[in-house]
Amino acid sequence: MSRIRIFWRELRDAALSVIHRMSRPGKFWRYLRYTLLTVALLAASFTLYLDFRVRSEFEGRRFALPARIYARPLELHAGLRISQASIVEELRQAGYRDAPREGESGWFARDGDGLEIALRPFVFWDGPQPAKRIRVAFENGAAASLRDAEGRDLPLVRLEPLPIGGIYPANNEDRVLVRLGEVPKHLVQALLVMEDRNFYVHRGFDPRGIARAAVNFVRGRGLQGGSTLTQQLVKNFFLTPERTLQRKVTELFMAVLLELHYDKSEILETYLNEIYLGQDRDRAIHGVGLASLHYFGKRVEHLTLAESALLVGLVRGPAVYDPYRHPQRALERRNRVLLETKNQGHASMEQYAAARTAGLGVNPKAPVGTSPHPAFLELVHRQLRRDYDETDLRSEGLRVFTTLDPRVQDAAERVLERKLAQYEKEKRFGPPGLEGAIVVTDGQTGEVQALVGGRDVHYRGFNRALDAARPVGSLLKPVVYLTALAEPSRYTLVTPIEDAPFVWKSRGAPDWEPQNYDRTFHGAVQLRTALAQSYNAATARLGTEIGIERVLATVKRLGIERALKPYAAMLLGAVELSPFEVAQMYQTIASAGFRAPLRAIREVTTQDGRPLKPYSIEVEQAIAAEPTYLLTAALQEVVREGTAQSLKNWLPPESAAAGKTGTTDDQRDAWFAGFTGNRLAVVWIGYDDNRAANLSGAAAALPLWGEIMALLDPEPLAPPRPDGIENVLIDPGSGLRADGLCPDAVELPFARGSAPVERAPCASALGAAVDGVKQQAKSWLERLFGQ
Amino acid sequence: MRYLLAVVAILGGCATVEPPAPVSEPASVPIPAPPAAIENPAVASLMDGARADVAAGRLVNAAASLERALRIEPRNPRLWQELARVRLKQGDYAQAESVAARSSSWAGGDNRLRAENWRLIAQAREARGDAAGARAALEAAERQR
Repeated sequence: MSRIRIFWRELRDAALSVIHRMSRPGKFWRYLRYTLLTVALLAASFTLYLDFRVRSEFEGRRFALPARIYARPLELHAGLRISQASIVEELRQAGYRDAPREGESGWFARDGDGLEIALRPFVFWDGPQPAKRIRVAFENGAAASLRDAEGRDLPLVRLEPLPIGGIYPANNEDRVLVRLGEVPKHLVQALLVMEDRNFYVHRGFDPRGIARAAVNFVRGRGLQGGSTLTQQLVKNFFLTPERTLQRKVTELFMAVLLELHYDKSEILETYLNEIYLGQDRDRAIHGVGLASLHYFGKRVEHLTLAESALLVGLVRGPAVYDPYRHPQRALERRNRVLLETKNQGHASMEQYAAARTAGLGVNPKAPVGTSPHPAFLELVHRQLRRDYDETDLRSEGLRVFTTLDPRVQDAAERVLERKLAQYEKEKRFGPPGLEGAIVVTDGQTGEVQALVGGRDVHYRGFNRALDAARPVGSLLKPVVYLTALAEPSRYTLVTPIEDAPFVWKSRGAPDWEPQNYDRTFHGAVQLRTALAQSYNAATARLGTEIGIERVLATVKRLGIERALKPYAAMLLGAVELSPFEVAQMYQTIASAGFRAPLRAIREVTTQDGRPLKPYSIEVEQAIAAEPTYLLTAALQEVVREGTAQSLKNWLPPESAAAGKTGTTDDQRDAWFAGFTGNRLAVVWIGYDDNRAANLSGAAAALPLWGEIMALLDPEPLAPPRPDGIENVLIDPGSGLRADGLCPDAVELPFARGSAPVERAPCASALGAAVDGVKQQAKSWLERLFGQ
Repeated sequence: MRYLLAVVAILGGCATVEPPAPVSEPASVPIPAPPAAIENPAVASLMDGARADVAAGRLVNAAASLERALRIEPRNPRLWQELARVRLKQGDYAQAESVAARSSSWAGGDNRLRAENWRLIAQAREARGDAAGARAALEAAERQR
């Protein structure tokens, strides 16, 4: 503060003395005096203005830090079904090296069926986990054992979660803040050697530096900036990039002012955090903290001399010396930095020689931009916005731990890309331009494991999984059947439903006459068959019998918040929902009628790891267990012998998956929604312009569903049988009670006491005779007592 | 002969006016028994951690550990029950009740576990001022013996 006061006093005294000396009588002199006074005043106010800007912006300056989003951490334990290859893949993506580096963390080494991992330290939301060495042994596609470096069994180890992007400030600047003390000395020395040799002695600008740059230029060593670090910082901080004299002067003034207010270490630290060091698609890499993670996958304090030199070399032109795109140029530039550093006495001959022979050493990492999974990130962003301010999300450096499972996400992305490409080649379903969306969740907890918003999976554009509201077609039928099955005295899985021409008249609307997909009517069919074969006429009749309003109430209880109009056509899926909403609806069915809101976030912490509000599992019994169980059995039948039979091409019958196909009018949309014992997925395929096509749920959407599930170790679906359910042998043809003598008898679940009493013809003659006589006796008694 | 049969049938018929019992017992799928104790060491360690957290009053952490365990074994009714207990302690009575019901849905033939869930539900209802509901839950717990 005192330095600035002295500066002002000097400036004022100088101005006054000039004016004083010139204050002789005479008109000319008087004018001159006024002019000079005005100029001095202008200069003073300009300086004051600059000073104000420098101080307010620099002091109030906190770098805007993006919210950092992480995938779920892999919970490694003995017995976990996972291959060595998929762990290795995840470690690679996290920037781990495939070779031991003693004394360091962040690598793995394979030997046969074993895997040794040197885990980096990581601050989880519930506390830090220090660096540690672990050994995993694999057997038959599962982790057989998990031990620490001393060979002791470990019950559970969390791997570091993959960063999957961020919510960035408007300019997409990304950085990881570092303290000057964390930055290796050799990095700072190399930086000063290359950029500002007199940094510690100049006062913001450096005439000697400018002179040296000029000399070098004349000598033909190319153009080197004579700007000091302070000037560079000012330029990045306050000024636009145009190159005018006026700007150069302003820059100089501000640099001097900056030096007056702040000490060298503050300026250097800010510079190290501000400097632009590369581009990762749309994401700008700023500061040495992020640059070391980005290029080398390690924290800045662990950078070697050679690595530091590479970063310093990037200061002059992150694009020109991009080590990925121009490795040779980057290497030459780095070696130049090393040479200068040695020449200035900051590296010994040995250190120099060793560093010079080192490879570039950059991470073999694919560019990810602001996120490799933009569709999922958007879901996270929306869920965060319910609780956090947009500005805070873009500047406070929050750490967000999500539910994304990279393995599931990768499977969903790859299958969608591959299948749609194949469909287009075959031209089976329509012209090019086919789109798709996929949602995969944990069926029990409602955690979203993957979300794909379109076939260009890395494109941050229209998110079909969240925003494409499309007619759901037959995907809505299960709701009709669920509503019916909640009334076991009227409806069971074998209740006959008339599949015959059906007309629904309502005032103010044209008559509604649903047709079946195969254009034929099937007469009286059992309820389960009507669903398995997705008969429209039977479903429409059933739905109008129980009441459209009641079906709508079930839709709502299943978790659909959108208001739907009570049109009869709704029963057959003339309802527009997004794949995400469909997933919510089916999630409630998959988890025994317990609705759990689909969640993409588990925990949020502040930048320094302080936990904020967690997002916990929440369940609510929305539908009774019994009808949900009955519906699940019917949906299993859809897969076993109904419209989704072809799923057997991907999943074995033991997996007993439950699902439903959906096709809409003019075959515009293809859907498949269903669940296994551990996962639920919804697949939608269609055109953005909603054109008529040749799509069907079974032919177009189901294969994707099957392929994804088959890639992910599906667990068999065996929902627990609720108390109020009993299994009864049924003759499938007649839907009547069977016994061991009936050759094709199947066991079906019924709400207790609701199973048919009447025996099928195939059932044992004795039982049938007894029943017959009982019936006779009953009517005899009734007659007797006049009932 | 016909009359004799009829008499027999009347006697039998009077006793069984309700539909005959299911005839399918031999073919019925056995209900998978829930694990008597927690076998998976990973789940056990998380459960221990959760209990330690509860003892130390770190209820948020306890719930989070249980959720981690549930991701490994979502069908383990003991984990759901423990989570219900934590929710009760946290004063989240609605969730305590729902989560206890979720535990029961996985309880299979374990009536003691089910009874304990009913008792948790009774406590949650009691705390919410629903005395009648609490009584009903306690009666349901009694019926589980």
